[in-house]
Amino acid sequence: MRNRKGLILAAGLLVSAAIPALAQQPALTGDPKEAHKKIAICEGCHGIAGYKTAYPHVYRVPKLGGQQEAYLASALHAYKAGQRNHPSMLGNAQSLSDQDIADIAAYYSQSHAK
Amino acid sequence: MRRLIVLLSSFTLAGAAWAGGNADKGKEKAAQVCAACHGAEGNKPSAPDQPILAGQYPDYLVKALSDYKSGKRSNPIMKAFAGQLSKQEMEDVAAWFSSQQSNLHFQR
Repeated sequence: MRNRKGLILAAGLLVSAAIPALAQQPALTGDPKEAHKKIAICEGCHGIAGYKTAYPHVYRVPKLGGQQEAYLASALHAYKAGQRNHPSMLGNAQSLSDQDIADIAAYYSQSHAK
Repeated sequence: MRRLIVLLSSFTLAGAAWAGGNADKGKEKAAQVCAACHGAEGNKPSAPDQPILAGQYPDYLVKALSDYKSGKRSNPIMKAFAGQLSKQEMEDVAAWFSSQQSNLHFQR
């Protein structure tokens, strides 16, 4: 009986923890070391100083090094979900798992200017 | 081919002319509109999911503000703030923030 109560409590806690996580971003811990295998996709544009997007909207792609981790993760999730609209970033973000996003966000946010 | 080159170089020129923001005016405007959340210099966001603006490329900042204003980039809070800015004011605040110091850098 006590066990069942414990189980219900645990289930309740899981659900209540999952609701805000679903509403926002999954709170995964990113590992910058893991990101090294995953950032090749980013470097093609963000790894080139002053790299510009193509026609019709020409602007330099944003600097990512030193940016806030949660912002980077939320940007990638928004691209992945199609809420933020950029053809290349949609394709790139859709190839990433939630853990990939967390790792990449950790990598760039913890990077220091050389 | 020659037409393409002329076309492309005109975009490059347009890009260069774009960097026409006035950082002093931008500082003033940013203090009224942006500073409460992003910090006066754009390097102290008030929440973890808000970006550092200091040192970011100005043309990217103008693009982001334009997209918030038009709704292409959907964010109710930023729509309200970017919606207050004219194109010139966007260029001004972008000139201000991009010339401020932060750890933001291009990362290889």
